[in-house]
Amino acid sequence: MRIGDLPYVGDPLEGGAEDQVFDSLLLLGPIIIVLIAVIGRSTLTTIVAVAYLSSFVGYVLYRGLHRDS
Amino acid sequence: MKRAVETIGRDLGRIFEALSGLLFVSVLVPLIWGEYWTIPALLVSGTLPFAVGYILTSWFQGAAQPGKLHGMIIAAMGWFCVALFGSLPFLLISWTAEVAPTALGVPAQTPTLAAFTDPLNAIFESMSGFTGTGLTMTDNEEVLPRTLQWWRSFTEWVGGVGVIVLTTAVLARPGSGSLTLYESEARSERIHPSIVSTVQTIWWIFLLFTFVSILLLWAVGMPIWGAINHGMTGLSTGGFSITDNSIATYDSVAIDFALLPVMLLGSIAFPVHYLILQGDLRNFYTDLQTRWVFIYMGVGTIALSGMIYATGTYDTLFSAFRYGSFQFVSAATCAGFQTAVDSTNVALGRWPAQAQLTVVFGMIVGGAAGSTAGGIKLIRSLTLLKGIHFRISEVFYPNSAVRRLKINGRRLDEQEVRQEFEEAAIIGLLWFAFLAIGIFVLLLILPQGEYALENVIFEVASAQGNVGLSAGITGPKSLPTPGKIMFLFNMWIGRLEIIPVLVTLRTIFDRGGLYQ
Repeated sequence: MRIGDLPYVGDPLEGGAEDQVFDSLLLLGPIIIVLIAVIGRSTLTTIVAVAYLSSFVGYVLYRGLHRDS
Repeated sequence: MKRAVETIGRDLGRIFEALSGLLFVSVLVPLIWGEYWTIPALLVSGTLPFAVGYILTSWFQGAAQPGKLHGMIIAAMGWFCVALFGSLPFLLISWTAEVAPTALGVPAQTPTLAAFTDPLNAIFESMSGFTGTGLTMTDNEEVLPRTLQWWRSFTEWVGGVGVIVLTTAVLARPGSGSLTLYESEARSERIHPSIVSTVQTIWWIFLLFTFVSILLLWAVGMPIWGAINHGMTGLSTGGFSITDNSIATYDSVAIDFALLPVMLLGSIAFPVHYLILQGDLRNFYTDLQTRWVFIYMGVGTIALSGMIYATGTYDTLFSAFRYGSFQFVSAATCAGFQTAVDSTNVALGRWPAQAQLTVVFGMIVGGAAGSTAGGIKLIRSLTLLKGIHFRISEVFYPNSAVRRLKINGRRLDEQEVRQEFEEAAIIGLLWFAFLAIGIFVLLLILPQGEYALENVIFEVASAQGNVGLSAGITGPKSLPTPGKIMFLFNMWIGRLEIIPVLVTLRTIFDRGGLYQ
């Protein structure tokens, strides 16, 4: 599913970095926040949050290095 | 005249419709937290701007596209009216708590919430929120209903990007005069040739960074409700908090340092974020403003930390660095979060005068143009500095010399230099003129001897720079009514970079026959 297919918010959200990884992070963000709000602080939610942050930072660096090389 | 009213009316109507959407969406918060007693107030608050907006857009459906004058008036009046309508949740929820019987599940009134029964306090809070200032009329944010805690954060989050940017992203269509409105809201940078695409990309980046900020704050130990609110207000460099002592409440080194990158993200221009997300990391140092964000934050941090350590404000170098770095970045990004408060360490208002004035310097310069930060903006400060250098060095060149000034990769000829320098100088001059007026008024109305001059300068610079740090003057009781009205004006002109507000006032006085 493309982010632009979402009802109401699809159009505004489509104009991003045109990258599936960033689009996925954008869609996963609220889901993880809701998960944390429901489950609370646990090993699982901490791992998920850290994985999300690492993916974001790692992918920005990867794109930067990939582009430079 | 009639055509102008139609155009302005139609576009104001669109802004009000977008605002009503924010209020209706916010009903989810009381539903989740079980604060059902606040729902009627939110629904009424949303219905009013929707009704006014619907009437205006229907009546003036076929109005002409806005010109430059219309754009400025729409921006100035739009922001003012949004602050007025945005105050309704504060006013109506506080009056609900005041008059509704507890049998209906309405909690007892608190002195903090009662402050908003005064419409001026409610408007102040709303204006402070939408302009991303963060000065507050509450004395203890913790006791506010979650609905109002959310509404405060939400106003800052939306205001950080811009009310018109929101309206353009959601309601405008290509070719609908969006560029004029976009430029009137103190923005000029484009990411794409189309303005509608540009604002959609801005929202895309802002949403992604908001989720990253929230999860970062939660990961370092902040509770999730605090992380959601502070993630939103930190990234939008607004600075409203849901705790009594701002970020000092957590008294956590990890949270203090985690907020630094969040605030810095908010002070970098969106087009640069876009390029970095595209993999062009060189923009961290090739873009003039971004490079200077880091240079000036770094130098300011070292200077401020050194001052408060040398004067004995803090016992250890690490404490001085912790509080110095946070407060300088918070001021210069115009976020306005506070870790230096009396309950945990030394309050900002009791820092040495030279340290307070260093923070004031950060508040005046502000962050990058095209970001969520306030102040004069880095690009203008750099244009002024380079322009002065260009003028002075002119004497040392022969008359026949062809000189160009390089700013941010652009090579400007004499005429372009004059034009850019003039624009930066006008904004700079007006900024300092209104700062001086604000200081003068505050000195007149505050009780003699209660606040030092540096406290007064600090507070006015904070309001006008849309920062929100306080030396202790702003409060429902401590700030007299004329001061609240003046700060409303300071926050309004600060957010729109003065000119649109002056143009609007001139137009109103002119049409009303007061200015001839």
